[in-house]
Amino acid sequence: IEEPPELMSPKPLLSGALPLEPFLSLLHKHGIMEVKVEDTPDGHILHLQAEDTLIQLEEDSTHIVCDNNEALRATLRDLVLRFLQKL
Amino acid sequence: LIMKDSSLRLVCPEQALKELGLNEHQLRFTCRVQLQDPHSDPDTLNRIYSHLKSVLKGYTVQHLPDGTVMVESIVLKVSSSAEEPNTKVVLLSWSYQDEDLGSFLSSLLRKGLPP
Repeated sequence: IEEPPELMSPKPLLSGALPLEPFLSLLHKHGIMEVKVEDTPDGHILHLQAEDTLIQLEEDSTHIVCDNNEALRATLRDLVLRFLQKL
Repeated sequence: LIMKDSSLRLVCPEQALKELGLNEHQLRFTCRVQLQDPHSDPDTLNRIYSHLKSVLKGYTVQHLPDGTVMVESIVLKVSSSAEEPNTKVVLLSWSYQDEDLGSFLSSLLRKGLPP
């Protein structure tokens, strides 16, 4: 059985907002081209069609919903973090 | 640690954000992991609970009455479809603050449950 991580100190809190257009261009730059954007009362839902992944963007929150694809999740996480401040 | 009105104070990060007039941005992940397990959904959840309990010494692992397992702030749920009752879908949801543990759990469950 694999060793679990030691009890870790939590990651920093995040602050700021994720701007839609710059985020979409960053996704394009990373080869994620087919993104369907749906407007919601509080923000947007991005549907990454080829990757079958949803990103729910709101002013104070981002929710990444993905299938069994850890590499993609990690990439999306790092792209989102580029826009946020860590505290 | 924040400095305000030329005094220094130690406050929790959430309080510090508030006092600095900044909004917290919640980053959350939800992932689906598939498991082959010929038990009922509640039994599979029980097996996940026992597995995590034995692997994650020193962590708080809870089996809640609402049919979820929680490890620290990470929530796990099990479901399956009527067509394929042995293919369980485990939904794992965690916040960026628990990123290391969340990604560890998703890779652990991908390897399956012990017999």
